[in-house]
Amino acid sequence: MSFITDHILTWVTFLPLAGALLLWTVVRREAQARIFAMAIALADFVLSLHLWFHFDTGRGDDQFVERVAWLFNGQISYHLGMDGISLVLVMLTTFLGPLVVLSTWRAVTERVAGFLGFVLFLQAAMLGTFFARDMLLFYVFWEAMLIPMYFIIGIWGGQQRIYAAVKFFIFTMVGSVFMLVGIIYLYLQAGSMNLTDFLNLQIGHEAQLWLFAAFFLAFAIKVPLFPLHTWLPDAHVQAPTAGSVILAGVLLKMGTYGMLRFAMPLFPEGVAYFAPYINILAVIGIIYGALVAMVQPDVKKLVAYSSVSHLGFVVLGLFSLTSVGIAGGVFQMLAHGLSTGALFLLVGVIYERRHTREVSEFGGLAHGMPLYATFFMIATLASIGLPGLAGFVGEFMILFGAFSSQAVAHARLMAILAATGVVLGAIYMLWMYQRVFLGKLKNVKNEGLPDLSLREMAVLIPLVVFMFWLGVRPGLVLDRLGPSLEKVTAPLNIQADDHHILQSSTTATDNPVFVIRNTEGQ
Amino acid sequence: MNEFQITDFAAQAGDLLPYLVVAGGGLLVMVVDSFVRTLKKDHLSYLTIFVLCGAVILQIIGDKSDTTLLNGMLITSDFTRVFNFLFAAIGVVTTIYATGLFDRDGRYRPEFYPLILFSILGMMVLAAANDLLTIFLGLETMSLSTYILVGGVRGNTSSSEAGFKYLILGGFSSAFLLMGMALVYGFAGGTGFADISAALQTGTPDRLLVGLGSGLMLVGFGFKVALVPFHMWTPDVYDGAPSYITGFMATAIKAAGFAILVRFAILMQPQLGFAWYPVLSALAILTMSAGNLIALAQNNIKRMLAWSSVAHAGYLMLGIVAMISPTHGGSEQMMHGQAIGEASGSAIIFYLIGYSLMNLAAFGVINILGQGNGEEADDINRYAGLSRTQPVAAATLAVAMLSLAGIPPMVGFMAKFYLFSAVIKAGLIPLAIVGVINSLISVYYYLRVLVVMYMKEPEEDSYDGKEMVSVVMAGFLALLVITLGVIPDSFHRMAMLVFRGIQF
Repeated sequence: MSFITDHILTWVTFLPLAGALLLWTVVRREAQARIFAMAIALADFVLSLHLWFHFDTGRGDDQFVERVAWLFNGQISYHLGMDGISLVLVMLTTFLGPLVVLSTWRAVTERVAGFLGFVLFLQAAMLGTFFARDMLLFYVFWEAMLIPMYFIIGIWGGQQRIYAAVKFFIFTMVGSVFMLVGIIYLYLQAGSMNLTDFLNLQIGHEAQLWLFAAFFLAFAIKVPLFPLHTWLPDAHVQAPTAGSVILAGVLLKMGTYGMLRFAMPLFPEGVAYFAPYINILAVIGIIYGALVAMVQPDVKKLVAYSSVSHLGFVVLGLFSLTSVGIAGGVFQMLAHGLSTGALFLLVGVIYERRHTREVSEFGGLAHGMPLYATFFMIATLASIGLPGLAGFVGEFMILFGAFSSQAVAHARLMAILAATGVVLGAIYMLWMYQRVFLGKLKNVKNEGLPDLSLREMAVLIPLVVFMFWLGVRPGLVLDRLGPSLEKVTAPLNIQADDHHILQSSTTATDNPVFVIRNTEGQ
Repeated sequence: MNEFQITDFAAQAGDLLPYLVVAGGGLLVMVVDSFVRTLKKDHLSYLTIFVLCGAVILQIIGDKSDTTLLNGMLITSDFTRVFNFLFAAIGVVTTIYATGLFDRDGRYRPEFYPLILFSILGMMVLAAANDLLTIFLGLETMSLSTYILVGGVRGNTSSSEAGFKYLILGGFSSAFLLMGMALVYGFAGGTGFADISAALQTGTPDRLLVGLGSGLMLVGFGFKVALVPFHMWTPDVYDGAPSYITGFMATAIKAAGFAILVRFAILMQPQLGFAWYPVLSALAILTMSAGNLIALAQNNIKRMLAWSSVAHAGYLMLGIVAMISPTHGGSEQMMHGQAIGEASGSAIIFYLIGYSLMNLAAFGVINILGQGNGEEADDINRYAGLSRTQPVAAATLAVAMLSLAGIPPMVGFMAKFYLFSAVIKAGLIPLAIVGVINSLISVYYYLRVLVVMYMKEPEEDSYDGKEMVSVVMAGFLALLVITLGVIPDSFHRMAMLVFRGIQF
């Protein structure tokens, strides 16, 4: 097996792509295509398990590195690597992969092979983005992600799908092209596209501000940060369920991942200059997203706006520039992927049965569909951050970080405002739950709807298991994040964890996680 | 040339052979056509392809040195050999497309075959020109053949109109070119590039004369490559010409135009930098912006690609601007002058290769989709549902569009990456930003074709023309577009070497 394990990152990345090519050319028949795609997605997950179990938890540098010269005599290379941050997000991606394929069993009936091909293609591009340690390679994967998502929304989406697909494509491109100019500029300074060489550059203050702005714009659109979020509700509402799950589960994390991996460590002065403004936008996003979600008549749109709010938390955590906040931000990326992914799947379940998602069409569903109501409740609670579920850990750490942060102007006020976002989150989610599931079964169309099938349960149970698991044992992830976060944020002036929040979250107290770098001592 | 020398043909025969083969092949095709009296003209297409392949093979097995031929009228180097190969390859693809269409529709055009060969001969001479006179000869041989190819579709008024328009405006631009040449001659005292180069280096050149002369010559070249404001013919001619010729014009003529433009820019570099650098920068911006903005509003795919071709001329012009910028810029640019020149020159060559691939893939599909009564498949809305009816053709066109838009992993992205890298290397970051904004705008109209093909259902009047060979050819080109986009390095390195070989 050494031919696989020696190039494990390449295998994990390109296995889905190979599957996609076969789906488009050879395996065209519907039934075969489903089984084939499922097999590929599962195989990719199994391969990625190798990464999880062979990952050296104590190290913060890149592991499983592969590097081959690509352009300009190796100045630009095919360079893959994986640290803890990438590991966590890669696991999320490969874990969601089979679930997404399984969820399309009945939802997608037209051009099935084509659809599954695009799903796998998208997965390959996302994994490549997480692995890439060469800036041009990163950019290639980053842009390549647009193509499959564009088709997934545009061909298999709802009524306004074309508008949503084009808007998604153009919005994302707007940010990335300026980043490309920035990347080329840095490349000419560094003489290499290697991320490490970029990090070693001495960049002037003014140049840092411009470059940070160019990079940040690309990532902020992807997150999406208020006020650049307008493509998101359209994309989510129009996308088919599987598309929404990938979008919410992984694609949105690309933005925050990019900030953490590239924009922040490369341009510390840019971060110092812009962080207060970014935090204000993040808090506005948290509250705005929650308020808009509250008044949505469409359940899917409600979940979409809740993403704006949740991702606002992630950005706030990252730019609180505290070790707790940053770790919390990454954890929240994971938790949001699980809970929102599950919510979109659940919305898809009811849409398949009733072909509507209007809250007013429902009421009292819990009577006929007790299992469905239970799963929905768990996902709802995970989303609003009930202790014991994954969402709580992230939100708590972010709020804790923001509250004590020196990088946030009026840190305590901001933390309090952000906390109201949590409250609002509870209100809109529970209110929606109440209107959809509780009370009497009023609408006759909702009588006799079948409860969750075995297949649907098989999709949802793994998600729910991990919501609980990460909720009670966040150390599972935080342990692996610690050294990597410390390394990635080394160029930044990070506030240490004075209250030892991070340590108490792990089981082994003698194994401190993430930054015990005392800034006062320097 | 100060004194007349008898050319030693025998010694130069080896280097001249590719040119002679194409010229002789053109005559041969004409003769064969008049003696073999069948309605079907497939034998001519085989003969044409044979001639082009023969020329390329002779070149590959022939002498690889840099030599001047015919008393310094022509120069052969790796640069001209690479361009000859490109022209021949485009000629082969165009012949396949055209023949496929003739065979399917039963409307044969025997004059197509010799004319395409003569046109390619003109391009080969143009790229190899080492004298103002050979520039003119090459340009006119190329253009005259193309005028007929554009306008010669019998019974098609829009083709005739396009041909006539192209002829009139082309003649007009040739006059500018000639006037410019006359002025340059007046200042240099000779028409050879060597004379001009020598005159530029000795003493203080007459700036007015050389500035005006080179400016007028730029107008002539600008017309051929569709540079704003000399682009007015482009949409009408691209639209009126049959699609296989449009593809030929968009790729081969543009490549030939830029081949001579690159060499002309190097030749005139100090003076060009002095006199025309700001104007060329402005024209590059104007060309990109006008091309992309007007393309947004087109419903006719051929007109859209015409404006896109204008826009791409603008991107390529950015490369030329970067190339001549060292002589204009400060001392820092001067220091890296050679590196900047190489980066931009190789980027232009790579761009032309990539651009030819994706455009030919696109026009191959457009060419065969028409329903056979001479009607062209030019209405974008009637591409509805093509992904259902002809998945391979749709995928090919989609790859071509994404590549034109500069989305990785297609070659269009790599071409733009090399080009913008060179522009930024020359310190022209604002120009690079204008460039990327333009490529952003272009995404919208390229995506529109994808929207119609993939996201709309087939309709009654959707195009449905089929022709096996053309689709396979176009699909093969689309595969090349992706392959070159993933592993562009060897081609780029070749472009770099080739560019280094240019000398006077």
